[in-house]
Amino acid sequence: MSGRPEAQQDVRALYDTGSLAGAYPRLPALLARLDDDGLDSAGRLLARLDPADVLAAHPDTSAVRIAVTGRSTTAGLLPALTVQLARHGLLLIGHTGGSGSYVQDLADPASELYAHRPELTLCVLDPLTVWDRVPSPWQPYDVALEAERQRLLLAELAGAHAAHAPAGATLVLNTLPLLRRFTHQQTGLLQRAELGALWREFNADLLRMADPAAGIAVLDLEPLTAAGVRADDPRLGAYADAHCSAALLASYAREAAHLARALRGDTKKCLVLDLDGTLWDGILAEDGPARVRGATSLRAGAFGAFRRTVEQLASQGVLLAVCSKNDPEPVARALAAHPDWPLSADDFVSIVADWGSKAEGVAQIAAGLGIAPSAVVFADDSLFERESVRATAPGAAVVELDAEPALHSEHLLADGWFDVPSVTEEDRGRAERYRERQRRERRQAGAKDYDSFLRDLGIEVAVAPAESHHIARIAQLSLRTNRFNLTGERLGAAQIERMAADPDTLVLAVRAADRYGDDGIVGALFGHRDAAGLHLANMVISCRVLGRGIEDAVLDGLLHAAVDAGLPAVHAQWRPAAANAAVRGFCPAHGFRAVAVPGKQGDGVRYRHTLADLRPVPAHVRLRLRLSPTEPVLEPQEVEECTPSSI
Amino acid sequence: MHTVVDLITLANEYLGTDLEPADAERDLAELACWDSVYLLRLVTLLERELGRPVSVADMLEARTLGDIWTAAVGP
Repeated sequence: MSGRPEAQQDVRALYDTGSLAGAYPRLPALLARLDDDGLDSAGRLLARLDPADVLAAHPDTSAVRIAVTGRSTTAGLLPALTVQLARHGLLLIGHTGGSGSYVQDLADPASELYAHRPELTLCVLDPLTVWDRVPSPWQPYDVALEAERQRLLLAELAGAHAAHAPAGATLVLNTLPLLRRFTHQQTGLLQRAELGALWREFNADLLRMADPAAGIAVLDLEPLTAAGVRADDPRLGAYADAHCSAALLASYAREAAHLARALRGDTKKCLVLDLDGTLWDGILAEDGPARVRGATSLRAGAFGAFRRTVEQLASQGVLLAVCSKNDPEPVARALAAHPDWPLSADDFVSIVADWGSKAEGVAQIAAGLGIAPSAVVFADDSLFERESVRATAPGAAVVELDAEPALHSEHLLADGWFDVPSVTEEDRGRAERYRERQRRERRQAGAKDYDSFLRDLGIEVAVAPAESHHIARIAQLSLRTNRFNLTGERLGAAQIERMAADPDTLVLAVRAADRYGDDGIVGALFGHRDAAGLHLANMVISCRVLGRGIEDAVLDGLLHAAVDAGLPAVHAQWRPAAANAAVRGFCPAHGFRAVAVPGKQGDGVRYRHTLADLRPVPAHVRLRLRLSPTEPVLEPQEVEECTPSSI
Repeated sequence: MHTVVDLITLANEYLGTDLEPADAERDLAELACWDSVYLLRLVTLLERELGRPVSVADMLEARTLGDIWTAAVGP
């Protein structure tokens, strides 16, 4: 019972009755049930929707402005892109240029492409790129020459895009599939090998252009073609100037949607795994802990490969959890370290083993980690369990595993749920920090009162101008922090790097540590200084450290530092965003007064602090703060003399 | 695939168009729901449906759905 034809009919019925725009938030659940053909068909219906109608019905829909250009016809990409974005709850506001106009589109500041104000520009390089300029007859040397010219052209166009596209926009290039009908035009095996090598070098050079901070991403198409996607249809190329096959464009669109999601910071944080049939062969309750590892079965190796995939994800910051219908004690024994077991109980930050519903289990795991259920990916080989989680955990991604463990890794990785622009050191240590947090919470449960618990933590906070190696992490915080985000403004690495380099602008990194460990960069402040004082444009603090008074210490410290720097006032603002209602009162609580701004009703609140009456920095926090590299550090002694405040 | 109506049904099902049998002989340019990109997709769909290749050049020269039918399946 796949339910697929039914879901396809549902999408068509919504279109026929004119209710597709109204049903937009339901699409991720519906589209999750469609196969490639179903998605292709749904994409053509969705592409006919006016994005304005969707936004009118659901103003909170996350819209992505994307411009598509390319070396040949690219119009076929839009329906595929529309449906792939819709699968992730995103709405495409698309623009596609004329056929083959990528050089003009990207080089001309007045082009329609830039008029579209894209946050993502897809420059689709089809398999004929380079070849269309190679003279005939040719030797590998001629191809190398044209490939190098193409690389230089793309580097120039990337520079133009950085200059003319909106700040923070990303240009997406791709590697070029090498077609057999070109390699085999060389009859000399040596020359054919030479061509293969130089082509790979060209693609490698393209891949090395990838730089999230500079706004360049490169999609590697080779893994897609290696998985069996045919790159081109020579007939469509010859007669219709369409040099990518429909299948390649569909796969490209899938990857581009993952990229759009990752650039938005919409990355899942936790992988919740079933055990029987997912992590190991056999059924624990029937086979017992000693046998489920499946060491004797032929399929054991396939499960082992899947566990290594999971271990690899965990090494980059994906939190692992188990949700299993089993008794806890045998689960603990089966998860205990074995010589042939890539994952041990210590690798999981949460293990729910009981006979309750998995929907409740997933909710319990998310609550325990302090994350939303929508930040969870749930993988299970049972249709029933998947449906129960789909129905009750809104936004959670559900990975369909089946009875073939050799395919588990492909299913898990199909949607790039954990993709980020760049993995940071903080990511790699995330699981350990969650364990530190659990130790902290156990200690808090044992402490007499919260104040004494906080005093006992020995919290140290350092606030200082961001250095270049902090940029990726600060971008990640800006993109992913929802709760403590004063204005909801999202900044990518390129924008932050530019701000950090501007002497008039302020980008401060907030580091925190306590006796249980170093949390690394946990927040950031953005702003600028002028004659009117210090303007705090935004402040973000990771929800991981909220409730320890760190945010209070940082803002109080900033006010003290503003006084020391002789500034007349500090200005701040709060604007409503997805989940930041709780910080509405943050500025007033620190002595800021609302400032009336005519005509700005409903657009948040602007504040001003005259610096006349300052709160002390909470005494349990040892704070070191400095506004610029040349200014003196606000020493902890200065603040420790202050009276302790309640939190 | 016996008549041009079958082709129209195939297009409506997979391309998301809302073509009527009466559209078979109208110029493609006059069909509000038709897009030249559809023709490329239709090539793949028809070949899968028929289990054999079709002449892409002939299909691309077709002015009506009836022409496409003739090019792909033959009179």
